[in-house]
Order: sequence, then structure tokens, then C-alpha cells
Amino acid sequence: MSVVELTDVVKRYQNGDEIIEALKGVDFHADRGEMVTIIGPSGSGKSTMLNIIGLLDNPTSGTVTLDGRDVSRFTEDELTEERRSVIGFVFQEFYLLPMLTAVENVQLPSLWDSGLARHDRAVDLLERVGLADRLDHTPDRLSGGQRQRVAIARSLINEPELLLADEPTGNLDQETGRTILDELARLKDEEELAIVAVTHDTQLEQYADRSVNLVDGVIQ
Amino acid sequence: MVDLETLLWRFPSGMMGWRNLRRNRVRTALAAAGIVIGVIAIASLGMAGAAIQYNTQSNLGDLTNRITVRAGPDSPHVGLTETQVREIRSVTVNATVIPEKTTVTRLSAHGRDARVSVTAVENPAPLYTAARGTVPERLQAGALVSGTVADDLGLEVGDPVKYHGHLYRIRAILDSNAQGLPGQGSGSLVLPLSALVDQPYSSVTVVTTDGDAAVALANQIETRINGERAAERDHELVSATTLAGLRERIGSLMDTLNLALLGIGSIGLLVAGVAILNIMLMSTIERRGEIGVLRAVGIRRFEVLRMILTEAGLLGLLGGGLGALCSLAIGLALNAVLFGDATLALRWPSLTYVLYGSAFGVGASLVSGLYPAWKAANDPPVEALR
Repeated sequence: MSVVELTDVVKRYQNGDEIIEALKGVDFHADRGEMVTIIGPSGSGKSTMLNIIGLLDNPTSGTVTLDGRDVSRFTEDELTEERRSVIGFVFQEFYLLPMLTAVENVQLPSLWDSGLARHDRAVDLLERVGLADRLDHTPDRLSGGQRQRVAIARSLINEPELLLADEPTGNLDQETGRTILDELARLKDEEELAIVAVTHDTQLEQYADRSVNLVDGVIQ
Repeated sequence: MVDLETLLWRFPSGMMGWRNLRRNRVRTALAAAGIVIGVIAIASLGMAGAAIQYNTQSNLGDLTNRITVRAGPDSPHVGLTETQVREIRSVTVNATVIPEKTTVTRLSAHGRDARVSVTAVENPAPLYTAARGTVPERLQAGALVSGTVADDLGLEVGDPVKYHGHLYRIRAILDSNAQGLPGQGSGSLVLPLSALVDQPYSSVTVVTTDGDAAVALANQIETRINGERAAERDHELVSATTLAGLRERIGSLMDTLNLALLGIGSIGLLVAGVAILNIMLMSTIERRGEIGVLRAVGIRRFEVLRMILTEAGLLGLLGGGLGALCSLAIGLALNAVLFGDATLALRWPSLTYVLYGSAFGVGASLVSGLYPAWKAANDPPVEALR
């Protein structure tokens, strides 16, 4: 069974008098242990699609199922719960909190639930992404690649089934980007993750098990 | 071993709030300064009010604890009789009874003369304060002269004054500022009772412990001498009056004054509250993306709300605590300068204003944090992350 499945998803925005149709009937699925990339030019609806997969945005029509459950009737708090327990996010801008150390940033999604109970897992994750000696560094003392690795460790703290990455290598040089992708590919196998990555980085395609092309809100 | 950080992380909202405050120290300091000023405004104005009230009451205490007994409208006598004075003494417990006789005379010395009121009294000590010399407990010989008369006639302690052929040596020059009200030892020349032996008593002053005791005792004296319902029976032989009404009016004046002072102080805190609202709003707008990430990774809305409210609350505690310390220092200085006793600031009514001030500070912070917190918690993460 797919971790996440989109069926005939349509998303329309009102922009002034104009109605923009960002997604025009998209079907999509991602399974555990596979990395799927969504590729397309900017403005093609990639980010909108990723937001809908990540339960950050609602489709105008169509259904989204997570582990076979239709999420369209979920309340905001139930969606938050799903994001916390099932989904991990990695952003292009890393979005680490500047006043927290690496290990605190990794624990952030679980802080309000279990305090520091996840400390050991956080340390373990940081060790696995090669940051064993940077645990107590704040983000301003880490390089771009190191920050993205902290962000990846953060996305995995709650043992998600689905990892969503929005241009994960977008702010990194090619060499650093490659190490991040190696990391993601390895974690995908180790944690049996479904990874959905949005990119226009061709390097990322080489790591993908499958790629979908999104042009003007339609999968080609 | 549990270290402090680990302990603090049990309260993630508090820890996050604290770290956020430490992130922009200048802004935190400015916001806290706003609250400090507001708290100082409330606390020190309140303390000033309490100090004025305390001072007024302790000054008034000397007047409101006295009863003046005079002949009533239905009395067949001029002044009070010996029997009536004895009856007053018989109902009086824990209070000093001072019968006095008065007249007017002409006094001359060093070639100058003056018309003076004369009071004859046996125990003048509770009624008079000496500027020079001493006021004796029992006045059996000698005289007391008011400062004004002493100046007019060039009299000094030890000089003799002549009244009805008798010489009286001046034992004290009286402090003019401490003069009592009419019927309470107002005379400019104070002589022993024996000097006016043939006259009836013009009034009796009873000095009690406080205003409430004075009112109660005044009623007792009237009932004792006039009998029940004296006014209806046209039988008001004596009237006993106190300044209870004055005391009440001054009390309510003080309450009004205090309210007005607190009102002015509250404006200060209101301004501080608006400043905090502005700072918290700016800070949450600046951190919009960050808060969006918190929401995206599954932090619940009420947790975001709690985090920002905690931040505002910590700001309030910081400002309120500092404000309380500053107000206490100001209160100590104020009382030291005004009354020469700094410890008056540590009296309970004063301290309550410090507590009110800091409580209002924390409250204003929390109220000001509500809107930014609510706004941040309900911002759709997809908008915040755009």
C-alpha cells in the first residue's frame, strides 16, 4: 500500500480577479523504500503539490490518502498530528531555529510531547549524518551542508514514513549536494522511507527510483 | 545527574520563550524597560499616596481622638458644673479628662500690653507642646505662654507675668503650630486651675486612644448626663463633640487621591502594554517563517500560542521584578526624604502597591502577548513558509 496517494487532485487559487489553476487533476503515489522526484519548471505547481502531499494545504477537489486514510475530513489539529507523526520535512532554506543547538533543533518536533526523551535518538541521527562533533553548535556555526544535515535529522526524529524535501540541494554547491543526496538515499533504505523530493536539480534525478514531470499542473 | 538545561527543557514553552528573549537582547531590554517604568509609575505613586495617607492620619490622630464637652442648649448653668465633671470622669476609662476654665485678660510686660485669652487647666501636658521650656504634667504654679504672645511682649522662660495680683513664672513658651482647637486648650496664657477658682468649667477635653474610641465615649457621656433620647425631651444639658466627621471626610479624600494617583500610574502601564504589543507583534511577524516551520513539523497551535504567551509572560516577570526592586528603592528614598524614616516603605500598605505594580506588569504583558500569539498560532503554515 502506498504511504501517500493523490487522486485527481485539483488546486485553484483566486489571485485578484484571476483564477489560477495550479494543479489540474493530478494522480500520484509514493511507496515505502522509494525516492520519487517531482521535476518541472518553476510555476509548474511543484511546490503546491508538495504542500498538498505534506498536509499543509488542501486540494480544491480530489482526494489525498495517507496510509489509506482519506484526510479531507481531518481537522486542523488532526492534520498537525499527522504531520508530527507520519511526515518529515526538509526545506530549501533549512529553517533551523537560530537559538537552538543542533541536537535541540533535531528534537524540536518532539519537544512538546516528550521533552528531551528523544535526546538519544537525536544524537544517534546526528551521528549518522556525520555531525557527531557538532551536537552543541548553533546553526550560525555550521556550514550550509551541515545545516541541511541537521534539518534531515530533524525530519526523522519522530520516525516518519514519508519524507518531503523541497529543493533540498537548492542552496548547496554541487559537491555538498551530492553528499546530502547520498545521505537521503542511505536513510531511505535504513528507515524504509518514502521520499518525495521537488527539484530542478538534474543531479537529484540520478538518485531517484522514479521521476514525475509536472508541467502546467499536469503530470506528463 | 539532572542538569539545569535538562530540567528547563521539561517546560519547552518556557525554554523556547527564554531563548527567544535572549536572541534579541536590546529589544528585550527595551520592552522590559517599558514595563519597569509602568510598574514604577503605579507602585511609586501608590506608595506616595500611602505615605501621604499615613502621615495625614498620624497628624489627624491628635485631633480626632479628642472629645470636647460643653454645656448644652438646655443647661440651666453657665458652663459645666463640678458634678457634671465628676460624672464625665466616672464614665471615662483609659482616657485623660482635662477640665478647663477660660477668660480674657489684658497682659502687660516691658511697657507693652496685649489682650490675651486665658485657659486655666490642671493637667496641660496632653494639650500643649513646648517650643522652649517644659510643659509640666500638673500645673500648680507658674504659667505657659503662647509663642505669639511671648514675641509680642518680649517674654522668656523664667519671666514673671501678673494676673489678678498674683505673679506666675513662665515655665514654657508654647509651640504655636501645635495649638489645639477651641475648647481644647486654645488659650494664649495657660494658668493653674486655682487662678480661676470662682468660675465654672467652660469645657472638658477628653483625650482617648483613637477616633473610634472618641465617638463611642462621646455618646456615653451624653447618655450618662442627659439621659436617653435627650434631644426629644429638650434635655441636652451637655454636648460632647468629636471630629469624627472630619476624619471620615479626610479618609474619603485620601481614597480619591489614591485612586487618582493609581489612575495616572495605570496610564504609564497602558503605554508599556502598547509598547509590548508592538514589540511582540514585530517579533512574531519577523519569525513568521520560523513559526511556520514549527507548525509544519507538527507543533500544535496551542503549543505555539503557549510559547509566545510564555515569552510575553517572562518579559513581564523580568520587567515586573526589576520594576518592583526599583519602586522599593524609590519608596525607601521617598519615605526617608519626606518623613525621615525609610522603613515606612516596608509597611504593608506600601508593599501592596509594589505587588500590585508587578502583578499589573505581568498582566499587561500577557494581555499584550495574546493577540500576537493568537495571530502566530493561526497563521496557515503554507502562507508562513511561502
